[in-house]
Amino acid sequence: MNVSSCMKKNVVSISATATVREAAAIIVSKHIGLLPVVDKDQKPVGVIGMRDLLTLELPDFVSFVVDVDFVHDFGAVETTRPSAQTLDKSVKSLMKPAITVEEDCGLLRAYALMLQHNLHDMLVVSKDGKLIGVASRVDIGVAVLSSWGKI
Amino acid sequence: MILPAVLAIIIFFGSLVIIFSEKLHRSITAIAGGALMVIVGRILNFYSEEAALEAIDFNTLGLLLGMMLLVAMLEPTGFFQYLAVLAARASKGKPVRLFVLLSVVTTILAMFLDNVTTVVIIAPVTLLICEIIGISPLPFLMSEALLSNTGGVATLIGDPPNVLIGSAAGFSFNDFLVHSLPIVLFAWAGALFLLLHLFKKDLSIHPRSVKAVMQLNPAETLNEPLVARRILIVLAGAILFFFIHHALHVSPSLVALSAAAMALVWVRPELDDLFKRIEWSVLIFFASLFVMVGGLEAAGVLEAVTGLMERVSSIPPLLFGVALIWIVAVLSAVVDNVPITIALIPVIRGLGASGMEVDPLWWALAFGAGFGGSGTIIGATANIIVVSLSEKTRTPITSKIWNRRGLPVMLATCSIASILYAILYSTF
Repeated sequence: MNVSSCMKKNVVSISATATVREAAAIIVSKHIGLLPVVDKDQKPVGVIGMRDLLTLELPDFVSFVVDVDFVHDFGAVETTRPSAQTLDKSVKSLMKPAITVEEDCGLLRAYALMLQHNLHDMLVVSKDGKLIGVASRVDIGVAVLSSWGKI
Repeated sequence: MILPAVLAIIIFFGSLVIIFSEKLHRSITAIAGGALMVIVGRILNFYSEEAALEAIDFNTLGLLLGMMLLVAMLEPTGFFQYLAVLAARASKGKPVRLFVLLSVVTTILAMFLDNVTTVVIIAPVTLLICEIIGISPLPFLMSEALLSNTGGVATLIGDPPNVLIGSAAGFSFNDFLVHSLPIVLFAWAGALFLLLHLFKKDLSIHPRSVKAVMQLNPAETLNEPLVARRILIVLAGAILFFFIHHALHVSPSLVALSAAAMALVWVRPELDDLFKRIEWSVLIFFASLFVMVGGLEAAGVLEAVTGLMERVSSIPPLLFGVALIWIVAVLSAVVDNVPITIALIPVIRGLGASGMEVDPLWWALAFGAGFGGSGTIIGATANIIVVSLSEKTRTPITSKIWNRRGLPVMLATCSIASILYAILYSTF
């Protein structure tokens, strides 16, 4: 079994020239965690995820204070919003490099790559490099586990 | 004797130039320079390996290592965060009060502990406190670096240049409390008022969420209360012995190392973790600089300098002292103050050998090296730490911002020190 058998084929993507605000709007309306960024040939050039967007709102101290358990009330931070200037930046400034597998990639190889790169969704591309699907950890995991019942 | 002297000067000043240019890590440069000095010394027969070992001031290294071990053990207990959170609650979220309290806590810690470690630990908590109450952390971070630098000059153990000067001049812990502390108190208060004035606009902003700071529970920041208590008891004992070390004829390094040994036995920390928090590169840097200066001495350079100094000693001593404060301060603002201090120690010794009363000059050196660091971002390690932390936040400290606040602080503290120095000169 390969990754193309379990991936989602109706992929929502965004162009690299779009703004952060537009990316957030698509993520909200489609209720998804990851948005592939593609060029005009539908080839992936990066990804922008929920985490990249939420980092814009997360307070600075979270990355410096090792243990924030003692902070029971984030106070002013809870109502902080990114500035209009930040939201109007292009997604290019925020996106992470795209890690992809080809459609005939095996399930365990795809899963191992996701573990190593700490990904929740894997982009699947055709032989000519075009984005054709996205497989989540759950998609791949369910496909792998489904064979267990047959033993 | 000309060739050894010329080569020793080339090796020493060549190393200093490389250190100041930051082309190579300062510890790597110092090791290479120290090794080269000994090799050349052996070839030309002016510097033996035994002499190189003797040139290392183990009193300085022992004191630094002992205090580093104590701080490294105290760091993971959460004690520093505990104090910062206490200060934040006591301020009730009022910016000016928070500013003063955090500055006082940082300064007191920096007077007895390594101020770099202090700032490394206090700065992130400061960021946290400022963010949750909704004010800019920038004034707080800058003042913590500036005031801990200033306050560190007050004690023998507050600042590496002081450790060096104390060891070279034979000043005791109490000598610093009598000669340095009073002047530092005035300079520190002057710096605090100046900073309150310079940051008036930032500090007059009404915080959006005072409630959040009152929700912080100091007790929860203490990860290991028992360990913290033990180390604090040992530290208090060490400070007590610092007060009487001179009367007991015990060196400060023995006090610090004994305290560290006692804490190690009592707490038995995980050693791999502990040793990662010790700044070995600083200790190696010091030791290597000592080896190089020893080479200068063996090559007869310092004798020649002393000869030159005899002419200098015709300058009125008071004027000489005040000039020394400013010259060292300007140098310390642009380069690391440790090599400056190490290089000037033999010069002052030379002046002493030529018959000049040098005790006042040692204090001038301490004030210049300590207060000069405020002037620029690169003037002190604590400055570099808060600036590089702020660069990863939404409110980075630029050199323009620093120069508008740090430079006035340097000028004010040096001026206050110069005036008081001139008035009190006869008592030094």
